[in-house]
Amino acid sequence: MKYTAKKIVLMLVTMILVSFLTYTAFELVSGDPAQAMLGTEATPARLAALREELGLNRPFLIRYFSWLGGLFTGNLGVSFSYKLPVWQLIAPKIEVTLWLCLISFILITVISLPLGIWSYRRSGKIWDFMHTAFNQLCMAIPPFFIGILLSWGFGIVLRVFTPGNLPDLHAHFFDAIRYLFFAAVCLAIPRSAMTVRMMRSTVIGEMEQAYVRTAISRGNDRRAVLTRHVLKNSLVPVVTFLGQTMAELIGGSIVVEQVFGIPGLGRFLVASISNRDYPVVQAIVVILAFWVVLTGTAADLVNQRIDPRLRLEGKR
Amino acid sequence: MLEIKDLHVKFHNRDREAVSGVSLTIEDGEILGLVGESGSGKTVTAMSIAGLLPRKQCRTSGEVLFEGYNLLTADRKILRSLQGKKIGVVFQEPMSAMDPLMRVGEQVGECLRIHTDLTKEERRERVLKSLEEVDLPDPESVYTKYPHELSGGMLQRAMIAAAIVIRPSLLLLDEPTTALDVTIQAQILELLKRLNKDLGISMLFISHNLNVVRKICRRVAVMQRGELVETGSTEQVFFHPEHPYTKHLIESIPTRDKRKENA
Repeated sequence: MKYTAKKIVLMLVTMILVSFLTYTAFELVSGDPAQAMLGTEATPARLAALREELGLNRPFLIRYFSWLGGLFTGNLGVSFSYKLPVWQLIAPKIEVTLWLCLISFILITVISLPLGIWSYRRSGKIWDFMHTAFNQLCMAIPPFFIGILLSWGFGIVLRVFTPGNLPDLHAHFFDAIRYLFFAAVCLAIPRSAMTVRMMRSTVIGEMEQAYVRTAISRGNDRRAVLTRHVLKNSLVPVVTFLGQTMAELIGGSIVVEQVFGIPGLGRFLVASISNRDYPVVQAIVVILAFWVVLTGTAADLVNQRIDPRLRLEGKR
Repeated sequence: MLEIKDLHVKFHNRDREAVSGVSLTIEDGEILGLVGESGSGKTVTAMSIAGLLPRKQCRTSGEVLFEGYNLLTADRKILRSLQGKKIGVVFQEPMSAMDPLMRVGEQVGECLRIHTDLTKEERRERVLKSLEEVDLPDPESVYTKYPHELSGGMLQRAMIAAAIVIRPSLLLLDEPTTALDVTIQAQILELLKRLNKDLGISMLFISHNLNVVRKICRRVAVMQRGELVETGSTEQVFFHPEHPYTKHLIESIPTRDKRKENA
């Protein structure tokens, strides 16, 4: 368990570092928020009063730490444009985006792992060609285009959902999930294709290993060699890749949220950047960074469970 | 117990036959040595006995007769029922020949899982006994270790334990001591000799090292470029080699006298 603790401590340190860098960057870039809120015509007295109100007169480090504390208590300041607490604004959007990414991630895993094994077992000239062609096609189609097709096909023609109108997640949970499902498919298709390819090449590589020959020499059949030995050994790079995928899904969701009209984090981030709503942007950027660190650590921890050699470092 | 008749193996991606016209018999209970430099076809010969040749990538002819089957053409199912159960294999590099993610105990017991109906507990008993037979200290702890936690010598003992756990009638040893240092090498050779005597397992011992072969085999076969150039008792081959290649091999063994000459 020592290695787990070490990983988590490392993760927390990274998070604090990331939050500090983000805060500093915004401090350098944003100029004077009071000025930005009141405009150039504001009187010096009103500016000073607002600065006092926003707490901008306090030293930088103090402001940073109170903001960092706010990250954990949910007090992230007040949005410039909406005059509402940032957390209250972004919490529902985080929920929507998390569901979107989760569904997408489940789809990727459920689609690509069996398909990866299947595509490994079907090798041969024609299969290789078909596999590569289909794979390239899936990787090449941009998610927004699949999104338009799905919106048209399932939304307008088949009327499975109403494009542009996401049902409330709490009041109509299953309707909302069904709506998000189609958006998740768009995100999942190119990523699944990549995972399949990766899985296939990893399995092919593992099949060349000496332990496979040992396994065959003991009388294992093809299936047992695959399930008992090769798959587990192929899993480490795949899990790492899936961890990155989980991190990148949020980035990908920005586009898909636009296409499907989903009020998610990505869409809100884009809007807030155009509005120069720094407290909101700052909070979202840090949350996204935390997400990346978190998924990376999760992938590492899963891999340590799979491969005992990765636990060595912690044992010493 | 095993008879190879005019074995030819040619890989599709090579011009030359890897094995051309090898005929060889392994008698009941003997340790037969198979010597030759790398690329002489000794490993390919062993792999064709073990059923490990990739059938799609090579063309074979001749016969490898074992328990009434021709292993070259036998049905996969029959082959699998012999692999591990009747024919055990020990490979050169124990570190890579073991699955890095599976506990040693489980790997040693793999043949039992495949070929017997023993319960997990019974298998464990047999594995621990087998680990003891190969002189591994503290079998209980070795059982739960992963390959990277053991030394090369210990792992090779575990590999031998895995091969003999089910009492095969034939053990193929493909350079089993080459990756190990000299003292461990000697211990492993002693171990193999003892297992041969106590359990009556016939062995094919492959090595490029004539000195090692001399310590363990009573009969030896010499291969060069896919062909069998000489077979005979170890003494005869060593002291009265007939084929020039064998003479050459023997002359290339460093001895104390030669070192003096050179100095």
